[in-house]
Amino acid sequence: MFNFDWLSGVSQETAKMIFLSLYALIGLLVLLLPTEYVYQGVAKEDRHWWNNLKLWSIAVLCILASIYNHF
Amino acid sequence: MLAGIDYFIVIAYIIGMLLLGLYFKKFVNSSEDYFLGGKSLPFWAIGMSIVVSDIGALDFVGVSGQAYRYGISVGNFDWVGSVPAMLLAAFIFIPYFWRGGMYTIPEYLGRRYNQKVRTIASVTWILFFALDLGVLFWASAVLLNVLMGWPIWISIVATAGVVGLYTYFGGITAVIMTDVVQFVIMFIGGFALVFLSLYEVGGWDNMVDKIATMGPEYRNHFDIIQPQDTKSPFPWTGILFGLTFVMANAYMIGNQSIVQRCLTAKNEWHAKASMIFGSALKMFIPILVLFPGLMAVVVHPGLADGDQALPMMIKSILPPGLVGLMFAAFFAGLMSSVDSLLNSTATLFTKDIYEPFIKKGADDKHYLKVGQITTLVLLLIGVATSPISSDFPGIYVAIQTFMSYFQGPIFAILLLGIFWKRTTEWGGLSALVIGIGFAIYLNVFKEQFFTIEDPFLYISWWSFLLGFIINVVVSLLTKKHSEERLKGLVFSSKILVENKKL
Repeated sequence: MFNFDWLSGVSQETAKMIFLSLYALIGLLVLLLPTEYVYQGVAKEDRHWWNNLKLWSIAVLCILASIYNHF
Repeated sequence: MLAGIDYFIVIAYIIGMLLLGLYFKKFVNSSEDYFLGGKSLPFWAIGMSIVVSDIGALDFVGVSGQAYRYGISVGNFDWVGSVPAMLLAAFIFIPYFWRGGMYTIPEYLGRRYNQKVRTIASVTWILFFALDLGVLFWASAVLLNVLMGWPIWISIVATAGVVGLYTYFGGITAVIMTDVVQFVIMFIGGFALVFLSLYEVGGWDNMVDKIATMGPEYRNHFDIIQPQDTKSPFPWTGILFGLTFVMANAYMIGNQSIVQRCLTAKNEWHAKASMIFGSALKMFIPILVLFPGLMAVVVHPGLADGDQALPMMIKSILPPGLVGLMFAAFFAGLMSSVDSLLNSTATLFTKDIYEPFIKKGADDKHYLKVGQITTLVLLLIGVATSPISSDFPGIYVAIQTFMSYFQGPIFAILLLGIFWKRTTEWGGLSALVIGIGFAIYLNVFKEQFFTIEDPFLYISWWSFLLGFIINVVVSLLTKKHSEERLKGLVFSSKILVENKKL
C-alpha cells in the first residue's frame, strides 16, 4: 500500500493525462475567481488586462502543460 | 582553474553585493522595516528573490547530478512541484497572511490553534535553519578554497562577514534587493553554460539521439513521467501525491523564508503577483540546473559520480571570464540561501519566542535591536558549527531530508486550519506531534515499507495523510472554537467578493 502498488496498472500515458487534467482543473478554478479579488490592491483606474492575475496564471499553466505534453 | 579575469569577476561580485546590501541600511527604522521591508517592495523583486533563495549552489551540483543519472524527470520539482503550489499560495494563503499583518507562519498557527503549536513549529524551523547555516558556510568555504585557494577559515569568515553585514544592517530589504542582482547573475552564468554546452553536443535533437543509443539504462531519460515501478526516487505516484499535493504546498505555503518575502509586498496585488511571477521564473530553473547534467551524459559519459557532471562541464566548456561568472552564480546561490536563513530565523526568534516569552510589550526599537542581535548570534553559531560538515559529510542531505518529513504534518494543519472551521487546537497539536513522529518512524524502518531508493516523497504523503486524519478525528472529539476566535483566520467565500480587511 505504501508504495502505491494499486496504481501499478496505470500507464505512463494515462499518468501524463492525469497531470494535464490537474493543470486544466487549476486553470478552471483560477478563472472562477472573482475579477475584483484578483485586482485587490490596484486602483480602479489602473486595472488593465495586463495586470489581471488570472491571465498571468493561465499563461503559466499553459507553458507548464506544453512542457508535460512535449516530454 | 581560474584566470585573472575570473578572479576579478568573483571579487568584484562579492564587494558589489556588500555595498549594495549596506545601501539599504538607511531604510531600516523599525522592526517592520527590518522584518517586512516596511511593506513596500514590488512583486518583481520578491518573485526573483523567492526563486533565487530556493536554488542554492549545492542544488546546482545536486540537480545536475540527478539529471545525469535519472534524466529529465528531476525537472518535476521545479515544474509541477512549484507552479500549482505557488498559485494556491498566491490566491488563498498569501492574501490571508498579508491582510492579517503577520510576520511568521507560526504566528498564524498560534492564532488559529494555540501557543504550543506556534512554539513547536517555530522552534523546529529555528533549529533546522541554524544547523543549515553552518552547513552552507562550510559549502561556501570549500567553494572559495577550491576556486581562489583561500584557507577554509578565511573563506568562512569572509562569507559570514559579507552576508552578515548587509543582513544585519539592511534586514529583509537588503536580502531581497541583493537577491535580485544574484538572480540576474545566476541566470546569465547558467544560460551561458547551457548555450555553449548545446553547441558542444550539436544541438538538442543530436543530444537526444546520442543518449538514446547509449543503452537501456537511458531508455526513460527523456520521460518526465516515470512509471510507478521505477527504481529512481521519482515514480509518477510519488511526484503526484508526495510532491504536488504535499511537499510543494508545504514549501510554498509553510516555509517562513518563502512566505516572509511575500509579506513585504506594498499591497495585496503585489503579494499575489510576486508568487505568480515567481512561478513563471521557476519554470526556467530546470534549464539552468538540469540541462547541463543531461548534456554531460554525451560530453562526459560513464562518470561514476553524477555530481561531477556540472564541474566537469564548466571545466571543459566555459572560456575564461565566463568561468568567473559561473562561479559568481554559484556564490550567488549560496549567499541568497544564507541571507534568507539569517533573516527568517531572526524573525522567527524575535516574533515567536522573544516577544511572547521573554519580553512582552517593549517598544518597537527594542524588537528591532533584538532582531539585529539575533542575526549576529546566528552568524556566530553558523561559523562555530560549520566544521561539523567536514566531520559528517552527509549532514546536508540529512537536514534536508528531515525537514521534508516535517512538511507533511505542517501542511495538514495549515490546510485544515484555513479551510475547516471545526479544526481545534488539540486537533492541530496532536496532528503535528503524531505526524512528525510517524514520518520519523517510516524513515527509520524505510527498508521494510518501501521499494524505491529514497522514499522521501512517499513518506511526506503518508505523514500528511495521517496528520490530516488525526486532526479531523481529534477536532471532532474536542470542543470547537468560538466564531469570535476564528474571525479572519478561516477561509470564507465572502473573502473573495468583499473588500473588508480581515
